[in-house]
Amino acid sequence: MPIYEIVFYAFSLVMLAGAVGVITVRNPVYAALCLVLTFFSASAIWMLLEAEFLAIILIVVYVGAVMVLFLFVVMMLDINVAPLKEGFIRYLPVGILVAALMAAELLVLIWSKGRFEAGAYPLPAPNPEEYSNTKAVGEWLFTNYLLAFEVAGVILLVAIIAAVALTLRHRAGGHRQNPSHQVRVERDERVRLVKMKPEPRQGS
Amino acid sequence: MLAEYFPVLVFLAISVVLGAILIATGGILGALLGHSQPNSEKSSPYECGFEAFEDTRSKFDVRYYLVAILFIIFDLEIAFFIPWALVLDKLGVFGLAAMTIFVLELIIGFFFVWKKGALEWE
Amino acid sequence: MNSTNMLLAAPELWVMVMACVILIVDLYLGEERRGIIHMLAILTLVFAAIITLRADYAADGVREAFAFNGSYIRDTMGDVLKLFSFLILAIVYTYAKFCLRQFRMFRADFYTLSLFALLGVMLLISANSLVMIYLGLELISLSSYALVAFDRDSRLGSEAAIKYFVLGSMASGMLLYGMSMIYGATGTMDLGQVAQAVRSVGSDDPLLVFGLVFLVVGLAFKLGVVPFHMWIPDVYQGAPVVTTLFISSVPKMAAFAMAIRLLQTGLVDMQADWSQMLSILAVLSIILGNVAAIAQTNIKRMLAYSTISHMGFVLMGLLPGTAMGYGAGMFYVIVYSLMSAAGFGMVILLSARGVEAEKLDDFKGLNQRNSWYAAIMAMVMFSMAGVPVFVGFFAKWMVIKAALDAGLMWLAIIAVIFSVVGAFYYLRVVKLMYFDEPLTEAEIDAPVDFRAAISLNGIMMIGLGIFSSSLIAVCMASFGA
Repeated sequence: MPIYEIVFYAFSLVMLAGAVGVITVRNPVYAALCLVLTFFSASAIWMLLEAEFLAIILIVVYVGAVMVLFLFVVMMLDINVAPLKEGFIRYLPVGILVAALMAAELLVLIWSKGRFEAGAYPLPAPNPEEYSNTKAVGEWLFTNYLLAFEVAGVILLVAIIAAVALTLRHRAGGHRQNPSHQVRVERDERVRLVKMKPEPRQGS
Repeated sequence: MLAEYFPVLVFLAISVVLGAILIATGGILGALLGHSQPNSEKSSPYECGFEAFEDTRSKFDVRYYLVAILFIIFDLEIAFFIPWALVLDKLGVFGLAAMTIFVLELIIGFFFVWKKGALEWE
Repeated sequence: MNSTNMLLAAPELWVMVMACVILIVDLYLGEERRGIIHMLAILTLVFAAIITLRADYAADGVREAFAFNGSYIRDTMGDVLKLFSFLILAIVYTYAKFCLRQFRMFRADFYTLSLFALLGVMLLISANSLVMIYLGLELISLSSYALVAFDRDSRLGSEAAIKYFVLGSMASGMLLYGMSMIYGATGTMDLGQVAQAVRSVGSDDPLLVFGLVFLVVGLAFKLGVVPFHMWIPDVYQGAPVVTTLFISSVPKMAAFAMAIRLLQTGLVDMQADWSQMLSILAVLSIILGNVAAIAQTNIKRMLAYSTISHMGFVLMGLLPGTAMGYGAGMFYVIVYSLMSAAGFGMVILLSARGVEAEKLDDFKGLNQRNSWYAAIMAMVMFSMAGVPVFVGFFAKWMVIKAALDAGLMWLAIIAVIFSVVGAFYYLRVVKLMYFDEPLTEAEIDAPVDFRAAISLNGIMMIGLGIFSSSLIAVCMASFGA
């Protein structure tokens, strides 16, 4: 099925290009958009592996929510790009050295320990027609990975607590509406009837 | 399964091609028909005739981020419901209990946020 | 899946429920009644210890039981580490209450976040699958990041939190990358099955070796050993001292357990590979930690570098891959946590009216101000330096012995030489306390529970030293040595 290969290589190329873009473009907004492109292509590749639930979650959560927050932060924060680049030349030799070392280590490892041949990790056999990846995720997540699932809930809870603990501060003299108070208000609190004698109009 | 997503791929291809065509024709027609007289005044920011006082980027109140983060957390929570709903009939009471604990954890979080007043805008 | 299995995780469940209860109860408490939160937290720890002790899962001599389809394991090592986590956290809370009150930061967030971190520590100690290791670690890290930034008005604290967060996330990424490769090569998350798969795949599968490299890097980041130690001094210094007290003690035990689970349970057949990597990390940490600590004038920073060297010793226990060595490493990490708690407890004690006593000079003439506190600090310093009779000596001794038994003479020699170098800066603190004039005559005042805790903590330094054999025996028994 050549179309499978074509789609795979097309999205892989776009993903790699996007990933390179993230770290090379100067404008942080463009970088964030490149990351969106990378996520999107990755999701397409997951789709090719028949992991449709994960693919869609990647788009919904990462592209939809996380990246929007990213863009939000990048655009709203007062980031001056020039000072960020200042140390670039100074740290470049060290960076290149570390990167070269890592690359060399990886290459040595591949050469000495055997290669990743194409045949060594074959494509998984396609699933039967009625197979649903979402159902498979559900069946595993809530039984075999039950503990992991509940701990994920705790981590989300901690994220809430941390976010509130770090960012929330009530300022003195802040104005805030209290809807229940607004609804429960009585007439006496708003209107004061004053009894007074009728006064004749001046000058008549 | 993949066959079901073929129309999406077709749409994707069409939109990419269409986008490329539109950008290309726009660029070509613009270059052919338009007058190009670049001028530094033209590309400088216009602010009712004043010189711009400050940068377009300004620091935002951190409370916006709080709302955004809370949104993401509950968005993630909802994502877990989809596979659960699909297989609930197989999981039975066990699955219900599993999800109840999970949701309880987040309800506690929600209650905490609410009671702390993080959802209110002062 | 049966319910008796799930009851194995009762301590975790209890801590989780109580953390949530404290979270909610605090919403209804005023500023002046916040002491209740402290009591509840201590109560949580006491009952968690009781629940842990009462567990009866030993079947025909093998103290090992699994729950949640093998992703959760209860064994002796886990139970001992958990019990010490409870003890140390209780000490930490006692110190923290005093400190938070003084700094006007007495908020329940500290208690809830650290209890959730404790939950992460417990889960990580009991993790028997790659995914549980990752989740436990993230739970600890996420809580710790927030705790570092706990003092929101401190610039140093925020800076430290950002550094910690960025480097910590990178380490998590590395770890996850390594895990994904291990999963790719073995096709399973369960550590027992990983070990079996490694045996059948062969330990020189390139994917496995790659995975191992990234796992070790992630592990080294979390333990804070050279060359992945850069965050430790900045975070220890920048964070409020209560947070430093916490992150320098309890999570270290989880990091040790993580190393055991990953390397000993999962990748035991690749011992030749990881032992080599760990020996480099250990040697560098022992050297750099001890040498850099000499130059410090800030005691939080000095203790940070001392942590780095101590973690080097812990790795030294792990790397021979013998049961003796694992036991020695476990003993070391427990002892280290107790020493670290006492050391930072003393920093808290000397901090007066919202100013942290983080300069070495703040310890000048402590003997004249209060000789008992000076004696406690001296015991802690002697123990950290590894002076005989004190417990730190036995910890170092066991680790070095394990290395010698494995024929790692050169490693043992380096460890001894740099322990002597390290003794210099520990003894300098003792000299400052006993032979220098105090900078202030201000009286050192602390509530009675604080005094009791720090005295107990200090006496442990010598008490555990004299009676070290029983704790060592427990640690050795955890690994069947």
